[in-house]
Amino acid sequence: METPSQIVAKVFPGIVAHIPQTLLYWFLPSVLALFLGALLCWARVSSRRNPLYWICTVSISFFRGTPGIVQIYIVFFGLPKLIWAIGYDVSDWTAGVYFIIATTLNLSCFMAETLRGGYLALDRGQVEAGLSIGFNRAQNFIHVIAPQTLKVALLNIKNLEIDMLKDTSVAYTIGAVEIMGYANRMISLRSGVGQLWILGTAAVVYFVMCAVLEVVFNLATRRISRYEEAAR
Amino acid sequence: MNLDTDFMLSDFPTVFAALPSTLLLSLDSMLWALVFALICGGAQLAKIPVLDKVTLVINTFIKGIPLVVQLLFCYYAVPYVVKWFDGLTGRAYDPRHLPYFGAAVLALALNFGAYITDVVISSARAVDKGQWESAYACGMTRFQALRRIVAPQIAVISLPNMTNYFIWLLKGTSLASIVNVTEMLTTARLSASDGYQFLEAYIDAAVIYWIVCACIEWASGRLYRSAGRYLASPSGGALQHSNRS
Repeated sequence: METPSQIVAKVFPGIVAHIPQTLLYWFLPSVLALFLGALLCWARVSSRRNPLYWICTVSISFFRGTPGIVQIYIVFFGLPKLIWAIGYDVSDWTAGVYFIIATTLNLSCFMAETLRGGYLALDRGQVEAGLSIGFNRAQNFIHVIAPQTLKVALLNIKNLEIDMLKDTSVAYTIGAVEIMGYANRMISLRSGVGQLWILGTAAVVYFVMCAVLEVVFNLATRRISRYEEAAR
Repeated sequence: MNLDTDFMLSDFPTVFAALPSTLLLSLDSMLWALVFALICGGAQLAKIPVLDKVTLVINTFIKGIPLVVQLLFCYYAVPYVVKWFDGLTGRAYDPRHLPYFGAAVLALALNFGAYITDVVISSARAVDKGQWESAYACGMTRFQALRRIVAPQIAVISLPNMTNYFIWLLKGTSLASIVNVTEMLTTARLSASDGYQFLEAYIDAAVIYWIVCACIEWASGRLYRSAGRYLASPSGGALQHSNRS
């Protein structure tokens, strides 16, 4: 009979060894979604006569209105069929690839709405001021629009990213091996002995990761709004 | 692309028939989440000595852990808890009929209760202090002021965020399918496993989730517009949080 501390000592190194995998499943969708989300946001703030506006609105509504796990399942079962129809065989892709594709799509839609909120909160006078001192549209975007949009949206982006980090645990349902997948495999290998302790260890590791992410985002918030404080 | 549309159409009623169980799970969890949030929020707002710190720590911990981990934890803990209660409640321990539905409700309620606590607190702070003072000036006691003047305002202010979280919760119930709770996604999977037509069944489920979420969003918008017409500022400074799941 193992004591709880022995069980934890046995699974803890394995869980820590799978942190990079979880971080990969968090980082790739986050970065991709920032770009894709910005594109979707751009379509969403454009004119309503633009057909892109309606395509993006409907797809954002779909991805926000259905559970993430269902989207992951649909991509997992549907994407190979779709690519097979074009003539490629992707049956050797690992589950992680499908997870990353599905969550990128999902996160992009939430990111688009978050960025849109930040963009709409932006003072129109700022845009005009930027143009009036001779910025062209690209310069105006980089120096005026993007920083201020990010400043407003950063709190919601932080919540999104923390949720994203936690949602990587869903990846184990399609067979990807990250912290949760490893914990689950250990539980079945040990036929359920000490399952609560294994899950508890995973929970603590997730909690620490979320706490670190929160601290990083708070530092970023302070940095991006530093001009605000100087003005006060 | 060979999508079995015939199966998709014929399977739709099967998946749709499981919608009540998903809604039941959501409403049950939402009810207990509200109870949990009101206790935590009340303790933190009233600054009850030890309880406010304890609830804050519990909420922070819950918010840092994935819902999947919580669901599995409650799921695995059920046999131990039931065994412990064996004989206490007058029901014999039966390993074949374990209350997994209750375990899912507990996990969902704790997880969303932690988030809803923030909504309760921020909505309560959004009510103008003058409302309390005018109620006292009319001779109301603290409880009367809360029940007649302040609580209705808190309810209206928190409505948009509550709906957001309810939609999020509804989507979160789909995760209960990994702990053997029979809801819509489980039904979709079981109905598809005969012919390995998972894609078609999951598309059906997605469409139903989409429609239900859109309806709730529309209804809550209408409700808020009629209930919130007396509010000074419609947003009320309440906490914004994206309903991601």
